[in-house]
Amino acid sequence: MRLRRTMTAYLMLLPTLVLIGAFTVYPIFKSFIISFYDWDMLNPVRTFVGFSNYVHIFEDPLFRTALFNTLLYVVLFVPIVLVVGLGAALLLNAKIRFRPFFRTAMFLPYVTSLSATGIIWSWIFNNQFGILNYLLHFFGIQPQDWLNNTHLTMFNLVLLSVWQNVGYVAVVFLAGLQGISRQYYEAAQVDGASGWHRLRNITIPLLSPTTYFLLLLTTIEGFKVFLQVYVLYGETPGPNNTGLTLLYYMFNEGFNDYRMGYASAAAYVLFLITFIFTLVQMLLSRRVHYDG
Amino acid sequence: MRKWWIYLLLILLVLFVIGPFIWMLSSSVKPEGEVLSQVPHLFPSHFEWGNYVAAWKSAPFGHYFLNSFLISAAETLFDLTFGAMAAFAFARIEFVGRRVIFVILLATMMVPGEVLLIPNYITLTNLNWINTYQGLIVPWMVSVFTIFLMRQFFLSMPQDLFDAAEVDGCHPMRTLFGIVMPLAKPIWITAGLIKFVGSWNAFLWVMIVANSPNLYTLPVGLVNFSSNVGTVYNQLMAAATFSVVPLIVLFLVGQRYFIEGVARSGIR
Repeated sequence: MRLRRTMTAYLMLLPTLVLIGAFTVYPIFKSFIISFYDWDMLNPVRTFVGFSNYVHIFEDPLFRTALFNTLLYVVLFVPIVLVVGLGAALLLNAKIRFRPFFRTAMFLPYVTSLSATGIIWSWIFNNQFGILNYLLHFFGIQPQDWLNNTHLTMFNLVLLSVWQNVGYVAVVFLAGLQGISRQYYEAAQVDGASGWHRLRNITIPLLSPTTYFLLLLTTIEGFKVFLQVYVLYGETPGPNNTGLTLLYYMFNEGFNDYRMGYASAAAYVLFLITFIFTLVQMLLSRRVHYDG
Repeated sequence: MRKWWIYLLLILLVLFVIGPFIWMLSSSVKPEGEVLSQVPHLFPSHFEWGNYVAAWKSAPFGHYFLNSFLISAAETLFDLTFGAMAAFAFARIEFVGRRVIFVILLATMMVPGEVLLIPNYITLTNLNWINTYQGLIVPWMVSVFTIFLMRQFFLSMPQDLFDAAEVDGCHPMRTLFGIVMPLAKPIWITAGLIKFVGSWNAFLWVMIVANSPNLYTLPVGLVNFSSNVGTVYNQLMAAATFSVVPLIVLFLVGQRYFIEGVARSGIR
């Protein structure tokens, strides 16, 4: 009986196991192996080179630029999108009218493809006729050459990503907020706690499982930044490589230069960084776990 | 009432979020002289619908649409079928290795898929699947998120239902597709919508696997169009509009399911 059940279960799992095995689990190991070879894919021969791909990567100033840019992007994007998203969720959680309208409107960028919205934003950022410069001149801000100024690249990328993801973050936070029992607030009201104290001492601690989930998700998402650069800047990774990210670097090495071993090593570094961050955050979230 | 500032902040936030779409619509119907103007206006002097025709004609957008639709629909159908089977096994069958396999699957959700681009590209090359529909579809026929969502739902269904089916001698596959799935409609609509939107918007994989415009989906075709026409912004915005409208409509129609599913992803 048990054997038959197990057989049935595995038959039902077969498509999932085959596909996830072939396109997620196997490639994790495969790219690790390739990263020790010098291989251009066109040539059937690949040469074992040990750790030299990894050594070369860390000697490449371009890789260091990519690493720096990616870290900077994550450090800016993650806190901003979480704070703005939480703010939006708190507003939506108030007793207001038209809540469905606000929520739906905020969610729109998340369901539209970056290839379209990136084109819209590059038009908004246009230095001569862009609406952004026009709007800013009302505040006495000089017109900027948004897409050619090296100092503004990171700002543009973070703005685009925050714009795209804030609705998602708000919706998940809102679900978390609605899961907090009203009792806590009523008790606090009796004790005369101010709005700020309620937020600080009830909402934020009880929301921490949701916050950690979002922190994890947006961090992983942040390390994969690529498409934002690609749609805003086209084939160049921003002016003077200011938009060069780890994934962009990997993409260039792999699909423009066909250095598969080298690109795999870069991909593995990205994978390990994400993995370490995930692990650290999971451990932290286990330590700071409040039960609602 | 001190509520006015809540509305004020919400309205500012919504303007920030939908402003770009409004600007897209406005630019898409402007005549050439007005789109490039130092003092921009929200409304054009007359509506230049010809921008849409010109944009539609300058690239095979009809073909891109068809590709996007076929690929997303195929991925969604397979994902729902395979996902339901896996979820049923995890939720309702006691078997050796259940916990371990489920945890491994959940762990794969944390792997950034883009990192696997190179080995998967090599696999596809070996299968001779580069520049084919199966190359675009097959790697994405299963998503762990769908399994996760459906498993949760199946776990919440009454045990009696499954017991009755088992007493009647129903094979699990018949129980699943004959009894459970019709009852689980909300969850497969949710999972299906999320999957469909995800496939529709997929970019990087399509860009790498599709070498010819024959296989381009809308997002890749649009970026290609944009790098060809350069700065003809009214036509670009027209193309952006007809690219985002189908998904916006789909989202608005199914938003209850969609937002529900997304909100649920945060509750573990």
